[in-house]
Amino acid sequence: MTGYILLVIGVVGAWSSAQLKMGSFRHPGVGFLPFGLCIILTIFSLALIISRLKKGTPSKPFWPSRTWLRPLLGVVILGLYALVIETLGFPLTTFIFLLIWMGVIERVHWLKITFISIGVTLGLYLIFGFFLEVPVPMGFFK
Amino acid sequence: MSEIFALFQGLANGFGIAFSLTNLTFALMGALLGTAVGVLPGLGPAATIALLLPLSFKIGSPVTSIIMMAGIFYGAMYGGSTTSILVNIPGEAASVVTCIDGYQMALKGRAGPALAIAAIGSFIAGTIGVVGLTFVAPPLAEFAIKFGPPEYFALTLLGLMMATLLAGTSILKGLIMVVLGLLLGAVGLDPISGEVRFTWGLLMLQEGIDFVTLAMGLFGIGEILYNLEKELATELLTRKVSHLWPTLKDWAESKWAILRGSFIGFFIGILPGGGAVISSLVSYAVEKKVSKHPEEFGKGAIQGVAGPESANNSAASASFIPLLTLGIPGNASIAMIFAALLIQGITPGPFLISERPDVFWGVVASMYIGNVMLLVLNLPLVGIWVQLLRVPYAILAPVIVLFCCIGVYSIRNTVFDIWVMGAFGVIGYLFRKVDLEPGPLILAFVMGPILERSLRQALLISAGSPLIFFKRPIAGSLMGFLLLFILIQIIVTLRKRWRTRFPPSGA
Amino acid sequence: MFFTEGGKVMKRLVIVSLIVFSLLIGFSMAGAQEKFPTKAIEVVVPFAAGGSTDVLARLVAKYAPKYFDKPLVIVNKPGGGGVTGTEGVVRSKPDGYSLYLGYGSGHDLVEPHFKKLPYETFVDLLPVCRLSVHSICMIIRSDAPYKTAKEFAEWGKKKDQVTASVSTRAGSVDITLQAFGKSAGIKMVTVPFRGGAESVTAIIGGQTDCGGNHPSEIISHIKAKRLIPIAVALEQRDPAIPDVPTFKELGYNVVTAGSVKGVAAPKGTPPEVIQYLTQRFKKVCDDPEFILDMKNIGQPVMYLGPADFAKFLKEGFAEYGKLIKEFNIKLE
Repeated sequence: MTGYILLVIGVVGAWSSAQLKMGSFRHPGVGFLPFGLCIILTIFSLALIISRLKKGTPSKPFWPSRTWLRPLLGVVILGLYALVIETLGFPLTTFIFLLIWMGVIERVHWLKITFISIGVTLGLYLIFGFFLEVPVPMGFFK
Repeated sequence: MSEIFALFQGLANGFGIAFSLTNLTFALMGALLGTAVGVLPGLGPAATIALLLPLSFKIGSPVTSIIMMAGIFYGAMYGGSTTSILVNIPGEAASVVTCIDGYQMALKGRAGPALAIAAIGSFIAGTIGVVGLTFVAPPLAEFAIKFGPPEYFALTLLGLMMATLLAGTSILKGLIMVVLGLLLGAVGLDPISGEVRFTWGLLMLQEGIDFVTLAMGLFGIGEILYNLEKELATELLTRKVSHLWPTLKDWAESKWAILRGSFIGFFIGILPGGGAVISSLVSYAVEKKVSKHPEEFGKGAIQGVAGPESANNSAASASFIPLLTLGIPGNASIAMIFAALLIQGITPGPFLISERPDVFWGVVASMYIGNVMLLVLNLPLVGIWVQLLRVPYAILAPVIVLFCCIGVYSIRNTVFDIWVMGAFGVIGYLFRKVDLEPGPLILAFVMGPILERSLRQALLISAGSPLIFFKRPIAGSLMGFLLLFILIQIIVTLRKRWRTRFPPSGA
Repeated sequence: MFFTEGGKVMKRLVIVSLIVFSLLIGFSMAGAQEKFPTKAIEVVVPFAAGGSTDVLARLVAKYAPKYFDKPLVIVNKPGGGGVTGTEGVVRSKPDGYSLYLGYGSGHDLVEPHFKKLPYETFVDLLPVCRLSVHSICMIIRSDAPYKTAKEFAEWGKKKDQVTASVSTRAGSVDITLQAFGKSAGIKMVTVPFRGGAESVTAIIGGQTDCGGNHPSEIISHIKAKRLIPIAVALEQRDPAIPDVPTFKELGYNVVTAGSVKGVAAPKGTPPEVIQYLTQRFKKVCDDPEFILDMKNIGQPVMYLGPADFAKFLKEGFAEYGKLIKEFNIKLE
């Protein structure tokens, strides 16, 4: 499976690199190295596919039962964080993020979550926003 | 003889200067700040030094400001290994190798010894580095400038070969990761021709992908997503801690790794540009080769932490050499220190030691002191860090994710980078599921641009002739070494295959 | 009925709104009278920290508190050969709090001849003042088999190609050395590195036959007798290295404005703000300690006010254009 994905990447990449100026062996252009790399990748992915076929072991199920659920939730929450942080500002978004993560994914007790979320949000804000003076989006807390 | 005497005298004066209360205070501040910067993702030592440059004017004395900046630089090197060991997130490129065995040790409950050995190894290596700086700086600097594009190409190629070894078992998979890493490194503006590659019109990708974004995503988010698969109750992660300090056995095993790492780091670290990363790689490869139990590497071999950590610290000391002796900055942090010196009217170069011995020796002496300070600082911290591991993963995981997000955001203040990090997080998660190691990928990502640039520069110089890589003495020997290395690998692999196919009779 | 009562309410409404209105006007006028600057001014250097432009900026920032009412904060935004950071300033609010230092560098005077930039260099940016000029100086190692530009040219004619280390591809240094090559009738191959510091390291190590750098990048190496400057591409000799002849003097018609370092503000910045900035920068440039510090790092203080600077830039731009045309310089 991996082999096939890599094969596709290799072929697409090679095509994409060929669009750029290639130059020659002696004067490599922009696309030279990426093209070569993609060709090598294609070869390697074929090798991977072949070695898998030769071994013939049945592949393990990728996601036994519903183990994909929690990682997916994690990704979604992270995505929401990125979407919302500049509008709502760091403190609020972080707080909500923590609430949701701990509540939905880990199912910690709601009171505990609230305290921890407040604490962590404050702590992070202090470290990054205050001590290091990292510009942190404040949303409407400006 | 009188020369050595003069050296000691200079050093003695330097210590006198370094031991002033002001200078000691600023050295400590720098070390503290550097450690914090090294542990926290995003802000690197170079950026921190840049932020503090205006402060250096107010301090007045150039010696004091350089002492502080050197402290930051060093501290970051010490701090970078902390996150590598604790949560498998490399603080900077030179700490990637530490992740491999360091994190494994942490999973086995041996985070304490790992952190301690890292700190102690860093101290010994840093000190050896400064000793080297004191005594052999000028001739070595001359050697360093002979490194041109062909040499860098050969060296980086060697480094890449070693990176494939990090893959653990399957060399094919390691090679694939290296190729992927090289391709990722090609994203963005091509430095030689100025054309844009693989950005698909996205302006944000024009500068390429930032190391921090890739590292946080691939290592940090990827690991967390992977761990999310396991329910809380059946968590496989043993966060228990057996003991804080390294055992005598650990010492015995690590001491040679530390020494070897120190020397490897010193000599490779002198080379401007990329010395620390390559030296950590070479150290890891060497340790694996000379070890009596190479199969333990990748599962928590303490030499896998001791060697590379020592290497990257002595490389840090060594990177001061081109600056102080020739006036050539070797990396971004040193370049900032270089600028700071210039602004205060001091020109680093061959005359620095004669014109401003107070600056030269003051800085060198403070480096000795700084190393001691960092050791004293970091050892008690080991206990604290280990306590941090006791925090239930349910709380720790989202906090780590947040750290990564903020760290990544702080680079360019765009949410785009968080998206990129997230994407790499998913990719990292998938990689782990199919048993692909992210280590070689990220190392190739770092070394790829250097490799390509050096190749094209070298070919420009040689008018297209590839012979340049073999005719020049240093490049030639490196390439020769590389070919030998590949040959040995092939022979070893073939022998293994042969043995499994045709077991020796009598078995 | 509604009207009479409504009338009272209306009257009150009108009075209240008049009062509010006048207060608002009063406040906004007071706001307008609030002097610039009321907070720190961000100065963007679109190059890496530690480079010659960055050092210049930080030196200016060091002396700024003496003459500016608020501090100057230097921010490095390297990338795209200088275009990224400059574009950031172009797109920022034209209120005087975001300035670009380095106006007149390679990506301003040279690159537009080859490529279209995402902004119009002379329309979207307003010149504030010129601070210095970094000339392009051709250097060789002191142990090279040639000692002058002429000897180099003769030596070069016998070879297939000669190499020169330059800081950026298609930068001012690159173009200048290519022009020299054509003018001297030799095949000059320029090898780009990542910035001045790297290219100096290359020539010191003898990786290339010659190099092109700014005096500030090589002054310590000249003192250490490792490098010898053999020509400078300016109309007149560079005050930082007065003993070095110009290309013109040597018979090669390679004249450039160098790499000009000035300050620019985005289009639309109010004239009073520009005037304030111009005046204060001039004061910094007149400060004797500043002049001394600049001299020590090999950067001559060359102040020009906005009008003269604008003219100088236009002329410099045209000059590069002429050079490129005359010597038919192409990008690979």
